[in-house]
Amino acid sequence: MKAGKSQTPSPKSQAEQLRETARMLLKEEKADLVVGYERGSSKRRARPVVIRDEKDVDRLIFDNTCGPSLVPFLRKTLRAAKGRDSKSQTPNPKAETSLRVAVVAKGCDGRALVQQVAEGQLKRDQVVIVGVGCNGMRDSRRASSDEKRDASCERCRYPNPPVYDVFVGEPVEVGTGDEFAGVAEFEKLASADRWAWFERELAKCIRCYACRNACPMCYCEECFVDQTKPLWLGKSAERPDTTLFHLVRALHTAGRCVDCGACERACPLGVRLGLLNKRLEQEVRERFGYTAGLSMEATPALATYSEEDKQEFIL
Amino acid sequence: MSSSLRIAKPDLDQLVSALTSRYQLFGPVDVDGVTVLREVKSADELALGAALDGPVKAAFFPQTETLLTYDGTTSEAPPGRDKPTAVIGVRPCDARSLLLLDKVFGTGKYRDPLWQRRHDDSLVIGLGCSAPLETCFCNSMGSGPFDAEGSDIMLTDIGDAFVAESCTDKGERFLKTAYKSQVQRPSQADLDKAGQARSKALAALAPAADYSGVKTALAKLWESALWDEIALGCLSCGACAYLCPTCHCFDVQDETAPGTQQGRRVRIWDTCQASLFTKEASGHNPRPGSKERMRQRVMHKFSYFVDNFGETACVGCGRCIRLCPADFDVRQVLERVKAEGRRTKDEERGTKKDVRHAG
Repeated sequence: MKAGKSQTPSPKSQAEQLRETARMLLKEEKADLVVGYERGSSKRRARPVVIRDEKDVDRLIFDNTCGPSLVPFLRKTLRAAKGRDSKSQTPNPKAETSLRVAVVAKGCDGRALVQQVAEGQLKRDQVVIVGVGCNGMRDSRRASSDEKRDASCERCRYPNPPVYDVFVGEPVEVGTGDEFAGVAEFEKLASADRWAWFERELAKCIRCYACRNACPMCYCEECFVDQTKPLWLGKSAERPDTTLFHLVRALHTAGRCVDCGACERACPLGVRLGLLNKRLEQEVRERFGYTAGLSMEATPALATYSEEDKQEFIL
Repeated sequence: MSSSLRIAKPDLDQLVSALTSRYQLFGPVDVDGVTVLREVKSADELALGAALDGPVKAAFFPQTETLLTYDGTTSEAPPGRDKPTAVIGVRPCDARSLLLLDKVFGTGKYRDPLWQRRHDDSLVIGLGCSAPLETCFCNSMGSGPFDAEGSDIMLTDIGDAFVAESCTDKGERFLKTAYKSQVQRPSQADLDKAGQARSKALAALAPAADYSGVKTALAKLWESALWDEIALGCLSCGACAYLCPTCHCFDVQDETAPGTQQGRRVRIWDTCQASLFTKEASGHNPRPGSKERMRQRVMHKFSYFVDNFGETACVGCGRCIRLCPADFDVRQVLERVKAEGRRTKDEERGTKKDVRHAG
């Protein structure tokens, strides 16, 4: 041993601590499964993984490639555990399961879990929230964005989950500045320029619904685009249909969206409409004083009313 | 038959002009960092360096296509394209996908006139793939980064120029007409550079996997728990199918303006991953969940297509991995199918042995 070299063990990485926590949760039967991330098809990418066995916990990772929201995968795991109605062979969402699932949650994902509980979509005791501090994600599929954080991460003010059962590592310092600065900047543009921006983004859409399916808050059993009686909008990838799809989705997630950026990250063709959701988030906060995903007890903005609510748009 | 020439990169526009004068030309275009196939008019619109994110099938089989318009008494088909279709900058995996789609739409039992009209007199200008990605596995699907199959002309990037080689009579005829004069032949140094690009690309690819046992294995895996397990990692969106160069399922919708008899019949890409794909009028859905839909996608590509057309409906382009929001990896599915196949085979052998002992 060379003189002067510290003998204290180097601090454990966030991933190592995460693995230890997962091992403990499984060993002590505090969770039946752990939903987390593992290394994906390249070093840039992480993929969701369900860990059932202590021996597999070393697969878990956490770094700036862990962009996808795990909430849809958590829901899927719970749903699979509920099994199927043997007669109709269709999934039975009403069935019960006693499964307890631990889920790795960065700030935004933690907020999505909170919001799911607030909206009655998830039972609090079914989920063990393993909080992790998050320094932002990069778009893991674009070679050019190695250093650059995603837009939603740049404006993020919730790097740590507001509610958790275990916290792994150190909390991340909350960013300062106006999270709606990007919205304000955009609103300075002339109306025609703003619309040109929308048109450009919407023209990229191929209606694959990756945004919707990756979204932690898009949990409808049957999405309006999948209804045929009535057929709310056409099936084409032409502008009127793609526009209507994105506008309705934005309105349906207003006051519920936690700005996790999963939709933008999921889009295979780079449609970037997160700013629209951000604008609606601002609207809900200013009108109703509500921010999604911070409290499991607060009634969601669009599920209640107050006589003091501004209603100049009606009168 | 084959002739080759040297096209300095600044002169690429000459090739593009020759193409656009005879063809409606489609090529890779960069839109905010994503490479999609678009109609192009000049060489400076082309993004030849990056792998194409959007699929090449869109030039021949558009996502949304009006089949006819109607007004209650008569119907009319929209006019076709004035010129035949050409595509440039097509990677060998994508060029090969067009041959597979032609088996479905162009030469099989049921022929699609819209596909035939665009495809039969088309020109495909391939671009050798100098930098395969981690998600590429064309070599496991019986092809390679410089495979000429499906291309009429193949371009190889040698730095400041392309070496263009004709691969078919059609390609040869085009090069002869387009470059009547001022033909620059590649030097030995150019050809050496092209050779180096080819060996470099081959070296960059992971060794080819052997998927020959997949079809046989799949035949016994219909009820396997494997599907439940792998479906957990899938979001059931349609990104893989819409970006897949060989996926070709579509829906036909009649869009009639409310209160009138006027409208259009339109053909739109569809995906087996969508719940509506198999939902019946009664409300029953024979593929109720992602397990069944995932199984269908794998079975169609690696079993049913082989039954129908003698080939696998996968060219190893890797888009379904690279662009999947969940980083779902079809190569892992194939490996697991193989392993599962070996396991059931061993079990069967074991059972037979037991029977013999018992007898």
